[in-house]
Amino acid sequence: MGFTRRFLCRPTAMFGLAVFLFIVAIALGAPLLFSRGPFSIVGMPLLPPGASGLLAGSDVLGRDMAVGLAYGARISLLVGIASTVCAAGIGVLMGAVAGYYGGWVDDLLMRVTEFFQIIPSFVLLMVLVAFLQPSLASTVIGITLVTWPQVARVVRGEFLSLRAREFVQAARVLGMGDAAIIATQILPNALPPIVVISSMIVGNAILTESALSFLGLGDPNLLSWGSMIGGSRSAMWVAWWTTVLPGACIMITVLALNFIGDGLNDALNPRARR
Amino acid sequence: MLDRRAVLGAAAAGVLAPPAWAQKPGTTARMRTINAMMTDEPAHLNYPLFNTRIMQEICGNINESLLLFDWQFKPKPNLARGYEMAPDGMRYTIHLRPDVVWHDGAPFTARDVAFSCGVMLPQLNPRSRGAFSHLREIKVVDRYTLHFEMNEPFNAFILSLMASSAPMMPAHIYEGTNFRTNPYNFKPVGTGPFKFNRWSRGQYIHLTRNERYWRPGQPGMDGIYYRLCPTPEQRLVAMESGAVDLAMADDIDTVVNSRMVANPDIVARSDAFNGTGEIAVMEMNHRRWPFSDRRFRAAYMHAINREFLVKAINFGLGKVAHSPIPSDLPYYDDKVLTKYHYDPARARALLDEMGLKPGKGGVRHRFSIMMIPDGGGYWTRAAHYIKQAMSEVGLDVALESTDWPTFSRRSGNWEFDVDCNSYGQYGDPAIGTARFFLSSNIRKGVPQTNIQGYNNPEVDALFAKAAVAVDHAEAQRHYSRLQQILTHDVAMLWMYERKPMFFYNKRLKNVIMGPNGPADGFGSVTLA
Amino acid sequence: MNRLSYIGARLVKTVLITIAVVLLSFFLIRLAPGDAATVMAGQSGYADEAFMKSLRIEYGLDQPLPVQLWKYVKAVAQGDLGTSYVRRQPVAAVILERLPNTLLLDAFALLLAAGGGIWLGSVAARRPGSAGDNAVTVLSMLFYAVPQFWLGMMMVLVFAVWLAWLPPFGIETMGADYTGLARLGDVAQHLILPGVTLALYFLASYARLTRAAMIEVADQDFVKTARAKGLSERQVARRHILRNALIPLVTFAGLQASILVGGSVLVENVFSWPGIGTLAFEAVQGRDNPLLLGIFIVTAILVSLFNLITDIAYSIADPRVELG
Repeated sequence: MGFTRRFLCRPTAMFGLAVFLFIVAIALGAPLLFSRGPFSIVGMPLLPPGASGLLAGSDVLGRDMAVGLAYGARISLLVGIASTVCAAGIGVLMGAVAGYYGGWVDDLLMRVTEFFQIIPSFVLLMVLVAFLQPSLASTVIGITLVTWPQVARVVRGEFLSLRAREFVQAARVLGMGDAAIIATQILPNALPPIVVISSMIVGNAILTESALSFLGLGDPNLLSWGSMIGGSRSAMWVAWWTTVLPGACIMITVLALNFIGDGLNDALNPRARR
Repeated sequence: MLDRRAVLGAAAAGVLAPPAWAQKPGTTARMRTINAMMTDEPAHLNYPLFNTRIMQEICGNINESLLLFDWQFKPKPNLARGYEMAPDGMRYTIHLRPDVVWHDGAPFTARDVAFSCGVMLPQLNPRSRGAFSHLREIKVVDRYTLHFEMNEPFNAFILSLMASSAPMMPAHIYEGTNFRTNPYNFKPVGTGPFKFNRWSRGQYIHLTRNERYWRPGQPGMDGIYYRLCPTPEQRLVAMESGAVDLAMADDIDTVVNSRMVANPDIVARSDAFNGTGEIAVMEMNHRRWPFSDRRFRAAYMHAINREFLVKAINFGLGKVAHSPIPSDLPYYDDKVLTKYHYDPARARALLDEMGLKPGKGGVRHRFSIMMIPDGGGYWTRAAHYIKQAMSEVGLDVALESTDWPTFSRRSGNWEFDVDCNSYGQYGDPAIGTARFFLSSNIRKGVPQTNIQGYNNPEVDALFAKAAVAVDHAEAQRHYSRLQQILTHDVAMLWMYERKPMFFYNKRLKNVIMGPNGPADGFGSVTLA
Repeated sequence: MNRLSYIGARLVKTVLITIAVVLLSFFLIRLAPGDAATVMAGQSGYADEAFMKSLRIEYGLDQPLPVQLWKYVKAVAQGDLGTSYVRRQPVAAVILERLPNTLLLDAFALLLAAGGGIWLGSVAARRPGSAGDNAVTVLSMLFYAVPQFWLGMMMVLVFAVWLAWLPPFGIETMGADYTGLARLGDVAQHLILPGVTLALYFLASYARLTRAAMIEVADQDFVKTARAKGLSERQVARRHILRNALIPLVTFAGLQASILVGGSVLVENVFSWPGIGTLAFEAVQGRDNPLLLGIFIVTAILVSLFNLITDIAYSIADPRVELG
C-alpha cells in the first residue's frame, strides 16, 4: 500500500516508531525486568548514577531510579492512550453529529468548542482534578474533557464537506439510515485527519499528565515521570539526576510520538506537504 | 525625558552585573533589620485564634506572656515580675511589672491579664481552655496584682503561662467585641519588643522596634521583615544569598540540610524547638475496624523501620519516639515503655493472629492514609516510605492527597482511616499530651483533639490525678503508669521526635535564647 | 459587513461568552465539597457549628443557589468580583495586582518567540532541504516535545545552581527594595530565565509557520514577477515574501496570546513568578472559589479581546478577508 511506503520512507518517522516501540516494550516488560516494584527502597537516598550498581542512581527516598523510570513509562503511556481514546471517542461522536446534521446542533457544538478555547484550559484542568480528588481516573477524565473539542472541530469540518458528496446521496437513496451512513460511509473517509490529530493528542496528553503530577495533582499512589520531577524540586540542588533523567524520558517519548504524527500526516496527505 | 540609549544601557548593566542576590545588604538601615520569611501568609494575626508556628514566630515579638522559661524549664520573670504559690496549690499570686505599656500607649494592668486568661484565651484556644479549666476564678487585687484561685491544684499551671500558650491580649481593644472579626486581628497590639507596622498582602509583614519596650537595652534591632517565600527552593536561595537571615523548622527541605550545614555563613541550631517537644505521629480512627484492635496497631509499628525513617527519609534529623512524652523532657520514663522495634515477621504474626491472613495478591487488608499537605516535602516522603513498608507485610495502603481545609475538616469530623500529624508537648504532659487521650476531649468537628476516639477510664483518671499531684514525685508516678498503659495500648503511633533545624546568618547573635526559640521573640538579637 | 458593526457584534459576543463562562464556572466550582466556611475553619484550626453558620450567612452561602448566582452576576456586572476567602481582600484587587506581572512575562516571551522564530524560519526557508533547514526542523520538534516545567527546572539548574549567572526565582531580589533604573535592571535579570522557557515552545511554532508560509509564498506568481524584474534575492525576501507570510503569523500571535494568558501556570510555578498562574494554583490549593471564578472571568475577557484584535489586524493585513 502506498501509505506504508510513504511512511517508511521518512527517516524521522521510522526513528520515532522505533523509539516508541522501545518505550512500550520497557513499559510492558517492567515487571519482568525488575523483580521489585518502583516503590521498593533499595538503599540510601540520592545516590548518583552508577553507585551501588544503580544504573540511574537513587531518588530522594532511596528508590531505584531506573525502576521508577520504567514504571513511569507505564503511567505516561496509559494516561496518554486512554485520554486520547476517550477524547477521540467523544470528539468523533460530537463532531459527526454536528457536521452531519448542521443547524442548531452544529451551532451548539461550535459555541461549546469556543468556550473551551477561551477559558484557561490548564486552570480548568487543575480545578477538575483537585475537586475530583487526584487520581489516575480523575487525570484521564480531566484531560479528556479539555481535549475532545479539538477532535470535534476537525471531525465536524470533515463531515461538513463529506456529507454533500455523491456517495452519501447515493447511500441515502438506497435507504440507509443516518447512523449507518455516518458510521459506514463518511467516517472511514474522515479517518486520516482523525488519526493524525489523535497521534498529536497522545503526546500532549503525556505532557499534560506529567505537568499535573509535577504540581502534585496526580495520583499520589503512582510513580510517574512528572511526579518524579516534582519530588526532586529541592533534591535537584544536590542531585541533578533526579530531575534530568525523568524529564529526558518525557521529552524522548513525546518527540517520538511527534515524529510518528508527522510521518502519518505526510503519508496520509501527500499533496499537503511541499 | 529619558534618553532611550541611557535606559537600554542601564538595563544592560543591570543584566550583566553580578547577580544581585550575591550582594549582602549594604546600608546601615538594612543591616539593622532582621530579615525573616514566612512560608505562607497567615490568615490574620490574632495569636490565640490560630497557634501555628508562623504565628508563634511573628506574634511572639508582639504579644508577650507572663513568664519565660530557661533551658531547664524553670520559670523566669517576664510581664510578671514574680509569683507565689500557696502551699496547698490552690492559689497563685501574680505580681506584674508596673512599667509596661501597650503599643498604643495604654498601660498594661491586671485587668488585661484577667481578661486574657479568664475570657479571651479559653474562648479561642483549645489548649488554653484545657489549661485554664482548672481555674475557679481570677481576682484582681490591685492594679498590678492578681490572685488565680484554682478548683484543684494543677501543677502544670505555671508552665501553661508560657509564651505560645498564654500571650497577653489588650482588654481595652478586645473586651466586649467579637474576637474573630475585630479589625485589630490585622494590626495587632501587644507589649513586645516589636510592634506591628505594615502588612503588605502577598509580600511581607513589617514590624518596627518598640521604643517604649520595658526591657532595658532591647530590642537590639530596628525592625523585622517577614517576607513571603512560598517554596522551599526559594527559601534555600534566600538563605544562601543572604537576602534572608533566618530559616526555621520546616522552611528548608531536609534534603538540602547538608548544604546549609556546610555553609560557612550560616549557623545551624537543632535545639531551638525543644520547648515545643514535637513528635511526628500517625493517628488511627479507633471507630473503624481493624484500627480498634491493639494487635493491628502493634503490627503497624513493627512494620515500620523508624531508624531508616529518621536517617534516610529525614536525613538524620530527629530521634525515634517510644513514648507520648519526648525523651528530653521531664516525666519521660524509659523503663516502663513497650517499645516496637522494626520486626516485619512479628508484624505478620500479629496480623495472622487477628485473622488477617494474606488474600489475593498477598494482601491482608486495604486502608488509606491521609497525608499532610506539604507539597512533596518530607511528610509526603515519609508517607510514601510507610506505604512501602506496609506492602512488605501485606497491607495495601492508598495515600490520599489533600489540602489544608480538607485535612482539617476530615480529621475533625473523623472521616479518615489513618492520618499523619505532629503534636507539641509544650513543656508538660498535662498541656500537650492529655488532650489526645482524654475521653472528655472527644469533640466532633474540632481537629487537634482526641480524634482517634481513644477511650480508657484508667487513663482519664490518671491524667486527672497527675495534673493535680502535689509534688513532682507523685506526678512522675502517674505519668509513668500512663506511659506504660499508652505504649502498651499503642494509643497513638509515635514515629519520631522532631528536631527541626533553625538556621540563621552569622551576622546576628543572641537569636536563640531558650527552648522556645523564636516563639520568645527577637528582642535580644543584635549584630554580631 | 463593515468594520464598525463587526466590532460591535464581536463585543456583544464577548459579553455573551463571558456570561457563559461565569455560569458554567459558578456551577462547576460549587460541585466541590466544602465552601468558605470549611476553608476558614481550616485556617483557624477549628470552628464550631455556630461560627461556620455565621460565616455562611456572611458570605451569602446559606441562600438558595439561583439567588446566589443572580447576586454574583449583578456584582460582576458592576466590577465587583467578590472577596477572596483566603486573603480577605477583594478579588478584583488581587487579580489586578498580579496581572501586570503575567502580562510582562507573556509580552517578553511573545516578542522573543516571534522574533527568534521568524528569523529561524526565514533562514530555513531560504534554502529548503539544506542542513540548516533540517537542523531548524529538528530543533523545532525538540522544543515541541520538551515539558515546559522541566525545561524551566533545567534552566534553573544550569544557569542558577551551576553557573550562578542568573537568579532562579521571583520577579525581584527579595528585600533589596530597588527603585528606578536599578529596579528595572533587577526585574530584567529575573525575567530572562522564565521568559526564555515560556518562549521556546512557541518559537518552534513560529519557525515552522514562517518557513512553511515563506516557501508557499515564494512559489507564487508575484514573487516570480519580482525576480524577473531584477530585484535581488534579499529584496524579494523582505519586500514580498515575508510581508505576505506575516498574515498567518498574525493569526498565530493572537492564538498564542490567548494561550499564554492562562497557560503560563507551569512556568510561573517553577520560577515562583508572582503572576496570575501562581495565583490560580494557590486558589485551587486553598479552595478559594471567588478567586478562581474571578480568574476565569478575567482570563475569558482578555482572551476574547485578544481574539478580536487579532481578527481586526488580520482583516487590515489582508484586505481580501471578509469580516463576519
